[in-house]
Amino acid sequence: MTHRRFLSGALAICAGALFCAAVLPAQQWKAPTSMKKLSNGLTVVVSEDHSAPTFGICVSYGIGFRLEPEGRTGFAHLFEHLMFEGTPNAPKGVLDRVIEGGGGANNGDTRYDYTEYIETAPISALDPVLWIEADRMKTLDFSPKNLDNQRNVVEEEVRVNVLNQPYGLFFAIDLPGKAFDTYPNAHNFYGEFKDLDAAKIEDVKAFYEKYYTPGNAVMAIVGDVKPEEVFAKVEKYFAPIPSRSTPAKPKVDEAPQKAERRSAETDAHARVPGLAIGYRMPPRKSADALAGAVTGELLQNGQASRLYQALVKDKQVALSVDGGVNWPLGTPFEYAGPTLMTSFIVYPPNVTEDQVLAAYDAAIKDLADNGPTQQDLDRIVAKMRSDIYGNLEIPINRASALSHAVLFNGNFDSVYQVPEELSKVTVAQVKAFAAKYLVSTNRTIINRVPAAAAAGKEKGAGQ
Amino acid sequence: MKILTIACAFLIVAAQSHAQKETVLPKDLPAYGPEKPLSAPSVKISKLDNGLTVWLVSEPGFPKVAFSIALHGGLAADPSDRAGLSQLLGNTIDQGTKTLNAKQIAQQLQAAGGDLGVSPGKDSTILSITVLSAKRDDALTILSDVVRNATFPDEEVALAKRNALNELRQQESQPSFLAGRAMAKVLFGDHPYHITSATEQSINASTTEDLRKIYAERFRPDQALLVAVGDFEADGMLDAVKSRFAEWKAPSTPPVTVPSETSSAPQHAIYLVPRPGSVQTTLELGSFGPLRSADDYEAARVANAIFGGTFGSRLTRNIREDKGYTYSPFATLQTYRAAGLQITRADVRNAVTAPSLNEMFYELNRMATTTPTDEELNTAKRFLVGIEAIQMQSRASVAGELARLWVNGLTPDAIGTYGKKVAATTAADVDTAAKKYFPAAKTAVVAVGEEKVVRDALSPFGLPVLSVPQ
Repeated sequence: MTHRRFLSGALAICAGALFCAAVLPAQQWKAPTSMKKLSNGLTVVVSEDHSAPTFGICVSYGIGFRLEPEGRTGFAHLFEHLMFEGTPNAPKGVLDRVIEGGGGANNGDTRYDYTEYIETAPISALDPVLWIEADRMKTLDFSPKNLDNQRNVVEEEVRVNVLNQPYGLFFAIDLPGKAFDTYPNAHNFYGEFKDLDAAKIEDVKAFYEKYYTPGNAVMAIVGDVKPEEVFAKVEKYFAPIPSRSTPAKPKVDEAPQKAERRSAETDAHARVPGLAIGYRMPPRKSADALAGAVTGELLQNGQASRLYQALVKDKQVALSVDGGVNWPLGTPFEYAGPTLMTSFIVYPPNVTEDQVLAAYDAAIKDLADNGPTQQDLDRIVAKMRSDIYGNLEIPINRASALSHAVLFNGNFDSVYQVPEELSKVTVAQVKAFAAKYLVSTNRTIINRVPAAAAAGKEKGAGQ
Repeated sequence: MKILTIACAFLIVAAQSHAQKETVLPKDLPAYGPEKPLSAPSVKISKLDNGLTVWLVSEPGFPKVAFSIALHGGLAADPSDRAGLSQLLGNTIDQGTKTLNAKQIAQQLQAAGGDLGVSPGKDSTILSITVLSAKRDDALTILSDVVRNATFPDEEVALAKRNALNELRQQESQPSFLAGRAMAKVLFGDHPYHITSATEQSINASTTEDLRKIYAERFRPDQALLVAVGDFEADGMLDAVKSRFAEWKAPSTPPVTVPSETSSAPQHAIYLVPRPGSVQTTLELGSFGPLRSADDYEAARVANAIFGGTFGSRLTRNIREDKGYTYSPFATLQTYRAAGLQITRADVRNAVTAPSLNEMFYELNRMATTTPTDEELNTAKRFLVGIEAIQMQSRASVAGELARLWVNGLTPDAIGTYGKKVAATTAADVDTAAKKYFPAAKTAVVAVGEEKVVRDALSPFGLPVLSVPQ
């Protein structure tokens, strides 16, 4: 699994939040942060944090699974694995030896619009870690043997997270597949095995040449450092890397959705049914996006949320409700193409899909008709702010947030500014957002039922 | 926040590499810089007149505060015909107090910026929440209300029981849950630690009276710890704690007792948990390890890191980076008050079930019978010391670690001494610990998967293939 035991807690970069709210001016928080661009195009962000003798680093590249080639589903993620498999200078094994032997840990993530490489360690390991990141920005050890090895590892990853698990991430993989119509947004990002099997070392080389350029990367370093010292080190290790052209981003828009889309699936492992609902969201830079982020959290963040209270407590038609905008593979502020507000609901076998949907629709209608109260809004803004501070507290997570912000916006201001903007979202805006976007013609629904129960039902119907 | 926890479960993540026996480092790789030692958190220790232990770590600046409240008594103390009652208590403790209903509690916690986590363990129950520091007094008020005045309303308990039955069904569809439940039964037999979860029968049998009874027995100041870490002045926080907890009275009933220590090796056999339709076999190998307070705990941690606790470890290099049998092999030491475990796990595709087990046995025995190289030893030691410093970055993880130390009968200075003991560990120490804890013959092997696949694949090992005791 992603964050393995030795990465527990402190390294969980999955906190899906880049948002904080300045309800209480006295509680605003900002860390000293500065940015510089090297002549080869690499952008570097540094944020000081002297509370522990450690640092976190994130190198994000502006390529994710949205732009992986057709016929190569899952390739961006398979490629990510190969970034750990050595270079001509530092063969397979050196990276772990250097980082773990430096007292640190490393990992990587592939998402729709970026791939990030993250490390955290005691400050004494800063130079070797920077060297490692620079080394794999120069070239890789394009080894067919390592490709075969990691192909196997990735296929085991798909088995352990998808094929051998109840629900199989259907709300993250199958739902976009139904909700969108074009390859970039609709394909299986974890990869069909036939596509993973077809990947060749030439594909790896071409992908690296095209997307893993200094100009397509943003590196952020957070921790017990002085910015001028870090900039000097970065100049030393990264400036010699030649610049290469970075491809322009193709259009990935979808034609508007006209009607509700519903389908059903059976699940070989689950014993309790699940329902996934996805509404198409406005572009990240639209005037409605901020209200959308708040609406998603108001509906689904924790036990006080509207959908938890309606479905689990009041109507008692669900066991759990999870979700949000750009959930579960990102935050409401980190996407560069079509995305959904997703709800994943697990419900008791003696409840019907229609009963769940009736309760869900009533909760949405209430929000669209009446809006939240100002108290509702204040509470969720406080919670979002607390969540994002909890994320920024940890150097590796702050590095991740800063590098993504620069990748998406060209600057890191949003990391500290969004709080103030969030607190400006009004009751009327949330009400209007719900009325405009959370409508049936804008949504896709998949009902996922246990295979055993489905078989029983068909048998019953035939009698 | 709950949605984030879920999201954590399936980030799409990275590959790792494979260290050679003695790694040849690139000639222009810069050396590590000078070490800056971790300063362990400065803990102000107090005890209220009613016996409540209070550990405060003042770290002004960053605007959050983490609280943990730990209480002795968990799954091992549940009545034998109410297995898993502590879990039901965890699910209902915040569903009503004398003055607040469930929704009010949830909304007040949200307004403070936190989610209340309740973790029932074998020995303890730990409540934790991290909030905005401006709302720390509000959070403390609600925490005190929940630990002192929970009412377990009938209708909330009835709902929690219905949901628990379905959640159990849901858990039983996950191979990791099945493996963990089976391993506890195999290793602990009749010992109270064999319980990892409720059963359908125990959920149906549990009542509000049962919950109120264990709540009264366990939620008492003389058997409790309160930890706060973050943005506050220690004196002010102690006053805030006193004003909310000083009137909390301990009952005259005896406190929960710690179970007897146990470490008897299980039968070295394969315990098969059939899971039809599995495309992988989940192999979990378990044996007894050191207690957290044992002299050889740190040496065992070093051994475990070399064996399977890192991406560069022997097990990961072998069955992931060399052979590609699995994505997520790992080895871990688990510690409870009265037992320690060494657990090794890998989910492997059906076709490589047998060769995977062969390599896991091989690596366990190699650990138990050969001395690690200097490179392995130094890397593991530096890794463990460094990771401790990294975990101290988060107020919530400091609070959680302090609570776990208290549950294990240790004091805050264990954070400082752990790193020193790891750094002082010698190859001979690792040899001794590994010989004691890592021989494959001391393990029980739980295999969750397609029954015929597992039986056919594992028959050449000549080990008994047993069902898991119920």
